[in-house]
Amino acid sequence: MKPRIIPGKELNGFIKGLMERAELYAPKERDTSPFPANPASDENPPALDAAEHSAGTPPVNGNREVSQFFRDTTEFRHITDPAQVNLDHLNTKLPLKELFLPRREVMFTFDTDTPERVEPVEAVAAERIVLGARPCDAAALEMFDRVFLDEATPDPYYRARREKTTIIGLACNEPGPACFCTAVGGSPHGSAALDLLLVDSGDRYLARPMTAKGEALVAHLPEATAPDIEKAAGLEQEARAAMKFTSDTAALQEKLKAGFDHKAWDEIALPCVNCGVCTYVCPTCHCFDVTDEESHGRGARIRTWDSCQFSLFTRHASGHNPRPTGRDRLRNRMMHKFRYFPAVHGTVLCVGCGRCIVECPSGIDLRETLTTLQEELE
Amino acid sequence: MPRPTAVEQQLRARARELLEKREVAGVLGFRAGTLPGTCVPFLATEPGDADRLVLNRDCAANLAAWLPRLRHRGRIAVVARGPDSRSIVNLVKENQVERDRLHIIGVADPDDTQPVRNPVVFDEFLGERAPDSPPDDYADIREFEALPPAERWQALLDELSRCIRCYACRQVCPNCYCPTCFVDASRPAWVGRTPDPSDNVLFHMVRAIHMAGRCVECGACAKACPIGIPLMIINRKVSLIVRDRFGSVPGTDPDAPLPLTAFDSEDREEFIR
Repeated sequence: MKPRIIPGKELNGFIKGLMERAELYAPKERDTSPFPANPASDENPPALDAAEHSAGTPPVNGNREVSQFFRDTTEFRHITDPAQVNLDHLNTKLPLKELFLPRREVMFTFDTDTPERVEPVEAVAAERIVLGARPCDAAALEMFDRVFLDEATPDPYYRARREKTTIIGLACNEPGPACFCTAVGGSPHGSAALDLLLVDSGDRYLARPMTAKGEALVAHLPEATAPDIEKAAGLEQEARAAMKFTSDTAALQEKLKAGFDHKAWDEIALPCVNCGVCTYVCPTCHCFDVTDEESHGRGARIRTWDSCQFSLFTRHASGHNPRPTGRDRLRNRMMHKFRYFPAVHGTVLCVGCGRCIVECPSGIDLRETLTTLQEELE
Repeated sequence: MPRPTAVEQQLRARARELLEKREVAGVLGFRAGTLPGTCVPFLATEPGDADRLVLNRDCAANLAAWLPRLRHRGRIAVVARGPDSRSIVNLVKENQVERDRLHIIGVADPDDTQPVRNPVVFDEFLGERAPDSPPDDYADIREFEALPPAERWQALLDELSRCIRCYACRQVCPNCYCPTCFVDASRPAWVGRTPDPSDNVLFHMVRAIHMAGRCVECGACAKACPIGIPLMIINRKVSLIVRDRFGSVPGTDPDAPLPLTAFDSEDREEFIR
């Protein structure tokens, strides 16, 4: 497939073309104005649609200086005007996963008085285009595919959304201080799970199609020249070189097998408060809970995000909890990402986006944790 | 690594001494984080750990929240700024930590936005006292209260709608030590698992009520929130009510009973006299 060029830095025409084809989702500033001067409006009804219900933030968390790298107010949202698209960001506050695994999914509704009245919710999804996915966020979808598109038990809701979505990536030329995709098998110009990758090359975008769906979006554009492709390769090398952290994840997987009860976990877990931040901002964490909600005779079985850091996560009906302490739960998260998932699927469950590092209220750095484990475990 | 400040030098020297003499099992403080502007709660357990201790205005956590979890470790020294010490006062009153199992190293809070920067209780004090802040006029709350009710409600709804229910606010709070939080109860389930506006509002409002007479306004919850919800507008409103109705500023008087658990025969409310 031939790489193309979007001349100039003006993407408006391109974006308009995308909007004519399908629903467009892209990083967008938060809608509501800052607290408290916030006039009452109907713009934000309490809708439960997942994509419309995600969140952005003003830069007020503990990591003041870092927030410049993470444009806190952006999130993937439905675009109704090309001017809403904001590609001037590194990573959105919340990852792309919400568009595929919403925080709340109704699977069926029921009538509590007449149990036979169960109405399944059909898995239907609109044709969508995502613009501006970072290669790390997109790579996480390949990991989701292994779980939710498993041949024996594919998830119909996930599959419908995945099949109906065309993903246009945006390569990273300037990784942030928490980025480490190269240490976990990714690349700042990586193409995993993408249909098309855009590379900002100064005065133009290089558009590199990976699939027929991606190619169809750029077929009308001029072909890229050899210098265009060379320049992009140089940008990728520079971006890769900017990320210094490395970790031998294969060796770590072996060490973790023997290191379940190592005392290193105590020290690693001390600052952890077992909130769900790292799991909810993680593009690869995908654990969910299933509960029933009912009111006035009508009920719904819903699937919501869950977090292995919560004490409820593995608590049995008997009250017994195989992971009773915070240390056990933090260890489980690391084990899932760097031991169990690789053992089953052949790849670590981490794409190195760095959100957990930036957002951790205790300032825990996953890279530091990996280094400690490499050093202390045998 | 920036050069240690005078108080950091004193802190490191004292921590080393306490650990060398085995007077404590650990010194709870902060170490530098890997990203600019971050500090990590840290328990120094060997004399050699002492030089990792830091103290600056980026140290966002309230260290008192770690004390109930560290009870099994034995006697602990804790670095306490104004807010940490106020929370310790509360935790002692609520029988969550034993005062005589703590060695409190008092320091002035480097964060000059804190209403109470100097520690309320301590066994030793390092560095210089911070100048006393002027009495809190709660200007932010008064301003918010002046908005029409519909606008206030909409503003709160807009903010709380964004909550992803990661419970970071709860987990970093020294007041939140319940073995089972009401949101985690399943029989009955008081709050739905969906992060929708009604359940989010329910969570935050019930939490706010549980903070009454106990919140020391350290701001750890607001700093921990990944979404940036301005939780202090809620907590400070509750604190203002407690100050007005009970004349109580939580955690500032080790000898005063907790306002909501005390009985006063002179109470102005007839029903309780």
